[in-house]
Amino acid sequence: MSAKPLRIDTGMGVSFIASAVIHMAVFLLLVWWGQLYPSQMAIQETYYVDIVNLPVANPQSGSSAQKPGEAESAPPLAQPPPMAKPSPSKSVPKVGTKLVKPAAPQESVESESAFAERMAKMERNSEARREEAVLEKLRSRVKTGSSAKIGTPGANGTESGSRYGDFIKSRLEDALKVTSYSTTKKPEVAIRLFISADGKLLRMKMERSSGDVAFELAVRRAIDLASEKFTAPPNHAVYENGFLFKPKGISNGTSR
Amino acid sequence: MAIILGAGIIVKLVLLLLLSFSVVSWGIILFKFFQVQRAKSESERFMDFFWKSKRFDAIASQVDRFANSPLTVLFNEGYNELKKVVETDSKSDGSALSTDLGGVENVSRALRRATNSEITRLEKYLTFLATTGSTSPFIGLFGTVWGIMTAFEGIGKTGSASLAVVAPGIAEALIATAIGLVAAIPAVMAYNHFQHKIRVLINEMDSFTTEFLNIVQRNIAGK
Repeated sequence: MSAKPLRIDTGMGVSFIASAVIHMAVFLLLVWWGQLYPSQMAIQETYYVDIVNLPVANPQSGSSAQKPGEAESAPPLAQPPPMAKPSPSKSVPKVGTKLVKPAAPQESVESESAFAERMAKMERNSEARREEAVLEKLRSRVKTGSSAKIGTPGANGTESGSRYGDFIKSRLEDALKVTSYSTTKKPEVAIRLFISADGKLLRMKMERSSGDVAFELAVRRAIDLASEKFTAPPNHAVYENGFLFKPKGISNGTSR
Repeated sequence: MAIILGAGIIVKLVLLLLLSFSVVSWGIILFKFFQVQRAKSESERFMDFFWKSKRFDAIASQVDRFANSPLTVLFNEGYNELKKVVETDSKSDGSALSTDLGGVENVSRALRRATNSEITRLEKYLTFLATTGSTSPFIGLFGTVWGIMTAFEGIGKTGSASLAVVAPGIAEALIATAIGLVAAIPAVMAYNHFQHKIRVLINEMDSFTTEFLNIVQRNIAGK
């Protein structure tokens, strides 16, 4: 008959819980570390170079097309002048011998500088063409007239076909979006605006109050804000119009 | 994080399996660490107490203080067996023990049995550490191979073999091997460490058995 066991091993469950907690802590540490120092494995933007049309000094230099024993070929020669009868005193240049002869270091430096100069010239030409295109587009816009701007953010309400009242309303609506606040009520404020011939806000007259002071303050701020963008009325006379302000928008009144 | 989320379902399963291996391994490592530490420290204290005491019954009354020491179990088993032998001897004519020493053999067997049970207890769960250490890298490698297969399949479909296409798939695949190694390395290290510690405890148990039997034999033979 064996003796009664002295003990029972306990603590396994606690160890597993501690292990899980350690793993969780390490995982969170790694996530935090990843956020602190994000991975540099961003995909690089790929640039495609037209190697066929790109002018280079030595197209075969360093490529597999160049044979090991072959001397570095000289840069392409300038086009010779049109065929003319050679004068007896001038000797014909020996092109073949020049090609075979290895390029001297001085020539290489010259060819590199010539290449850089050509590249700079191409870039300048490209930039000039781009600028010319932009200018041409602007010119064509001017030629087509101001009717193209109707309804666009750049319009000033004086274009043919546009209404000055709608232009003012649009500016007020934009400003009211900035100054307005959310409310469960449905306040309505009727305000009559007077705009001078040069587009300045002369005065505003509250024709109907809503009783909501906060909303009325928001409307006043919106009018002040929008008045900075007012333009002169089309007929160069004092413009007067009533607007009904609501939290969801503005409706036009009658103009005088 | 994005690498793990972007991996395929098989790779994710492999990662989950390796994570569970790692959690269980570390649970066992923590448990064994405290178990072996307690066994070692309490064995030292028990041996001090054992050599300072003059009588077995005085030691037997105090063994609960050293409950985590394997030597306590050995002493308890040996002492109980010795008591039985002495009781049997007192019922008989009283000359059997001093002549054939059959009672000492009984005590020796009891101590051997207790030693075996203690070795089993100390080595419990260590096989899992060995299994984790030996199989986790292969499981991770399986995930990597599968991930690379999937990546190459994707490359074949897209028809592009640029580094930007190949690299993310390979990185996703390699994470499985990395996690496999993370699970395996501590498991192997802990397994070797605990094996060494348990071997020391087994030696202590053998020494204690020898000492205990010597004391018993001396006293019984001296009667």
